[in-house]
Amino acid sequence: MAGATRTRLVREDTSGADAVAALAVGVASVLFGLGLAAMFEVVALTGALAGVPTLPLLGGLLLVQGVAVVVFGVGSRFGAVETNPRPDAGIVAAVAFTLIWFVVGGLVASQVLSLGLAGWLLGAILTGAAGFAATVLPREDVGSTLPAGVVTALVGLVFLSGYIAPTSVWDLGWAQKASLTAEFMVPVVTVFCALLTGWAAAKAYGGFGARGRRIGAYLLVYLNAAAIVGVLFALVAFTVFKGVPGLFRGLTFGPGVGPESTVVLFGASVTFSWPVYWPFAMNGVGLLNDLNGVLPAIVGTFWLVVGAVLFAVPLGVGAAIFLTEYAERGRFTQVVEVATNGLWSTPSIVFGLFGFAFLIPRFGNGKSLLAGMLTLGFMLLPLVVITSREAMLSVPDEYRDASAALGVTKWQTIRSVVLPAALPGVVTGTILGVGRIAGETAPILLTMAGGVFVPGSQTADVIGGFQFTAAPPFVSNPELLQATSALPYQLYALITAGVGASGNVGNPDQFRWATALILLIVVLSFYAVGIVTRYYFRRKLDYE
Amino acid sequence: MAQTTSEETGAEAFGHLVRRFRNFVDETDREALAVVGVMSAALLAAFAGFLLVSSYTVAPFAVFLVAAGYGWLRHQELTARLLTLTTTVSTILILILIIAFIFVEAVPVVFYESATVFGIEIPGLRMFIQPEWDAVSSPIRYSMVPMIHGTVMVTLVATAVAAPLGVAAALFLSEIAPRTVRELVKPGVEILAGIPSIVYGFIGFTVLSPWASDQFDILGQGTYLFVGVVVGLMALPTVVSVAEDALNSVPESMKSGSLAVGTTDWQTMTSITLPAAFSGVSAAVLLGVGRAIGETMAATVMLRGVPKLTDPLYNVFYGQETLTSLIARNYGEADGLQMDALFVAGVILFITVLVISVGSQYVEWRMRKKFGGDV
Repeated sequence: MAGATRTRLVREDTSGADAVAALAVGVASVLFGLGLAAMFEVVALTGALAGVPTLPLLGGLLLVQGVAVVVFGVGSRFGAVETNPRPDAGIVAAVAFTLIWFVVGGLVASQVLSLGLAGWLLGAILTGAAGFAATVLPREDVGSTLPAGVVTALVGLVFLSGYIAPTSVWDLGWAQKASLTAEFMVPVVTVFCALLTGWAAAKAYGGFGARGRRIGAYLLVYLNAAAIVGVLFALVAFTVFKGVPGLFRGLTFGPGVGPESTVVLFGASVTFSWPVYWPFAMNGVGLLNDLNGVLPAIVGTFWLVVGAVLFAVPLGVGAAIFLTEYAERGRFTQVVEVATNGLWSTPSIVFGLFGFAFLIPRFGNGKSLLAGMLTLGFMLLPLVVITSREAMLSVPDEYRDASAALGVTKWQTIRSVVLPAALPGVVTGTILGVGRIAGETAPILLTMAGGVFVPGSQTADVIGGFQFTAAPPFVSNPELLQATSALPYQLYALITAGVGASGNVGNPDQFRWATALILLIVVLSFYAVGIVTRYYFRRKLDYE
Repeated sequence: MAQTTSEETGAEAFGHLVRRFRNFVDETDREALAVVGVMSAALLAAFAGFLLVSSYTVAPFAVFLVAAGYGWLRHQELTARLLTLTTTVSTILILILIIAFIFVEAVPVVFYESATVFGIEIPGLRMFIQPEWDAVSSPIRYSMVPMIHGTVMVTLVATAVAAPLGVAAALFLSEIAPRTVRELVKPGVEILAGIPSIVYGFIGFTVLSPWASDQFDILGQGTYLFVGVVVGLMALPTVVSVAEDALNSVPESMKSGSLAVGTTDWQTMTSITLPAAFSGVSAAVLLGVGRAIGETMAATVMLRGVPKLTDPLYNVFYGQETLTSLIARNYGEADGLQMDALFVAGVILFITVLVISVGSQYVEWRMRKKFGGDV
């Protein structure tokens, strides 16, 4: 549909002008890259690139880019380039350019002409109005290129003129001292101008009009999507890069190198030693350890997740069954729905406070693993309800009718028709929810977590901990009622403990990054499994 | 439970319920009724025992388990129904318990921080009319003003990041992206939601904060600006997924109608899809704001932890404390009134986020109604 305008009948072959516009887009992307590189200090502003000092180089490129965009727009206006623009550039562009020119005018009036508040406000309003007029009054080709190009060219001139040095600092004069530095502002302004002129040039490349707007907008939308994926990738890659040395320190393979484990089965105990020794995941922190690790936190996280799932999944699935199968749709289901959604968006720290006030006094007045499990279970519950309900609602009514026609009871229908059909959705939702709670720190901060450096002897042994007592609860498990650690809390404790508290950990920084990495691995593997499961079931459903 | 519903819906509904209950009793087998009765009574007793911190809670709970087991074997239909009803009620009960417990804990400090206006003493008012938080030296004051200011600053920055980027990404995923690209980007956005907040906080603390201090020539570390950026990144997936759902719910016929008159797909998006999904998209932004308000760990490790206002108020380069980070930082050494003050912060957070959640649900409900779909 958009390609239809590209045929010769409608549009003359304007390859020369197209090339200019495409070149402008290219220069914009170069500027964008340079700006980002300067922001992350890959390229030094004080240094030089290919023999040219960085700041004048950026200035020159910006000037060329700005002029090119303006020339293209004006050329199109006077018929030198064949385009099909609209009568004006549109309200979104007008608002954006008004704001930009408002800021530019204000900056020039207050910084260069050093006018007072009234002065710079007047200047800002005047230039803002000029920007608005320049966008709205002329045809679209001028309206969307001239304001952008002139700003960029102006910035380029400022960079070229040497009015600002790479080391310039403008004190904002606030009571709490803060300054804008050229080190920060130059890259930011460069990136911004690159986006602005890149958009204008992309629009010009499409010949303005509906097609031009589409290309300009798509450029920004694609860039945004790429940036989100880029940030994700950068975050994960950075953590992996920093964490790997600490994580795999001392990792050895071979028969009998690992710690010994004893498995008791039907009275017969078998002792074997692991064929792998991975200190970071198999040790606690201790004076006698050759290399320290976070085993208690890993085990703590494992039990937390198990406990939360055991609590939340039966409750959540049960509630979903009642809501979808038994309850009549009406006020009651509506209230429950609002309540579960409200619970789902309740901040995690509020769950922590609740656990602190409600659970801790009921479980021996101290932080405990059990309190942490239940608090996380409370957090997981609404998600299980929501996803299970969605999954059950998407089971076609024909299934239920077919089953009912066989003369079975409602519960039999639910058990043997609805639940199996809804299972994939329930499982996927639960796995994703578990990923979320496994990484939560705030709730367990108040309900369960203990020390900074946890010795290996404090690894929770929940199964071995059950014992029968003569006193009223009759069953007790001291392991469940003890404070223990979990990976997210461990990381938080390591951060707040600072560099000083090294706790016999050889390299605290490495230790921290390794903890962050192992936490990331644990949580993201839940997500990966959840996403793959969903993908698998969806494909299966597609081909059914 | 039946009692509470009936009070809301009036005498007529109550009569209806009573009739239904009678029918139920008449139709059901005596033994099944007894089992169900024992189960309900035992469960209520266990709950009461738990609330009263009794160590005998386990006894009624055991009775419940035995009754449920027997009921499961003999009267599965009815037992299953009662069990699922129980789970539903307990979901609501958890919300009610949360409200009750955090409100009750917050009460003492509310009375401590009373202020007199026009001769009338208003409890809790002093927490909002003066900006002093001092838990150590006299006069001891627990003002919420600095933390509310901090939360507002962080949320504003976060919304400025998450709203435009999130809506653009949702548009990309639902309307623009080719199938293969979508299959890659969508899990990416989900994984972004999966990175634990403490990992974001750790990276912000070790990388972003020192960098920002250097770039803006700030004394010390911690700025609302960059906490806001990080929190915005964390709120982004919420905005994307909810907005994408809203965009997808616009009927395909509307879009094809627009395309059929010869518009480009971008024109269709801006003049048909986005306006039609506007309420859903704003619900997405609202939910993102809710996430940003409640975000704890990144703020806790990146902020300074000094509860006072920034000077001037719009100075985003200094990050003092938010409502969430106040709780996470001070729960350890707090007791008495200070602990109660943390619960006040919790109450403010809870109410704000609940209002946002209910508001966005209302907006979404209206949108679904507009498209004539399933309400």
